[in-house]
Amino acid sequence: MRSSLLRAIALLAIATTVSFAQDTLDPAADPLRRLDPSTRYAVEMLMDSARLARLPYGPLESKALEGIAKRANGRDILVAVRRVFRALRDARAALGPSATADELTAAAGALRAGIAASELSLLAATRNGKPLTMPLVVLADLVTRGVPRDTAAFTIFQLWQRGAADDDFLGLWRSVERDIVSGTNPSVALLNRAREIPAKGPSTAVPPAAGVRPEDAKS
Amino acid sequence: MTDELDSLDPNVRWIVTEARRPVPADAAARDRLIDAINAEPVPSRGLRLVTWLLQPRRLVLPPLATAALAAGLVGVGVLGGIAINRDGRPAAVQLPAAAAGQTQLPDSLAPRAVKFVLIAPQATNVSLVGDFNGWDSGASPMKATDGTWTVFVSLQPGLHTYSFVVDGRHFVSDPTAPIAPGDGFGHRSSVVLVRQPSL
Repeated sequence: MRSSLLRAIALLAIATTVSFAQDTLDPAADPLRRLDPSTRYAVEMLMDSARLARLPYGPLESKALEGIAKRANGRDILVAVRRVFRALRDARAALGPSATADELTAAAGALRAGIAASELSLLAATRNGKPLTMPLVVLADLVTRGVPRDTAAFTIFQLWQRGAADDDFLGLWRSVERDIVSGTNPSVALLNRAREIPAKGPSTAVPPAAGVRPEDAKS
Repeated sequence: MTDELDSLDPNVRWIVTEARRPVPADAAARDRLIDAINAEPVPSRGLRLVTWLLQPRRLVLPPLATAALAAGLVGVGVLGGIAINRDGRPAAVQLPAAAAGQTQLPDSLAPRAVKFVLIAPQATNVSLVGDFNGWDSGASPMKATDGTWTVFVSLQPGLHTYSFVVDGRHFVSDPTAPIAPGDGFGHRSSVVLVRQPSL
């Protein structure tokens, strides 16, 4: 009887060990297992909340995995994931229910870069079925590179109104990035390069955003 | 024998004597018993098998055989686990990403081969990490040619965040791609928008 019990325990121990080893060797099986239990619980709760709110939860998991890869501690990971969650929620409110997951992710990035939700709503209101992802990505990048928020938002909105396409925004980003690396003031680089993009649709007069100096726009 | 009985207590001796006394039996009793047994229906083969299976028995194995049996059972479990993917579907059902794109998915959802390049002549190893590979630095190692590191990755259309890992420690954003703002960990990541063919 005792022998059988010992064998059963040994069998259970072997199975548990092998199962654990398999899990360790296969990170794809449970990517969040490298988080400490309390952080993991909190991250999974946020992901569930995102699902319930019909928000994309992939960016939340990705942010947690990014934190793990960058050897951040659990607290910093949770803070970063929460920030993404809040930004996605605000992006949804700004862009409306028809926004795609990519648009929400890009808009969340723009919000984290400091763009106001009202600027995003303005873009969304004039989208006419066009995807917003690329202009939002470029907008967030420009602000991150030092272009004042209002100048960046105003210029991107003007181009958007003039019918600029994804390739135009990508080309603009490349040119501005090159100019900034060459030493040009980020704001001036953006305004100069934006003027090179031809209008493709009816232009709508847009009042200059606060913070954009007339001399910048004319230089 | 008699001596043995004599040495016993009188009461015990009486019991033994009574027990040894032949019991008079009816001569036809044996025949009746045989007939009753023959009258019983023979159990079917299936019932006998079930009875055999349900019958408790003790299995005695040497320790080595027990260990071998345990290893076999664990092996079956491990292989079963490997055969089932994270989403619960058997791995064999899922096609490789590229093949799935060619045969099953609409073109707008088909993965695209995207080339990532980083010029880092001093690096000894560079890998690509991002939301498409779970930020696993072992998933997409890059190959170097004269200091230029490249890798092709199959990506679904959409927005992806990524970074390069140089020498296993340094996270470097892609200088040829837009920046993903505020990663929250003190590094910069990049974004790539894999567009659908119609766009």
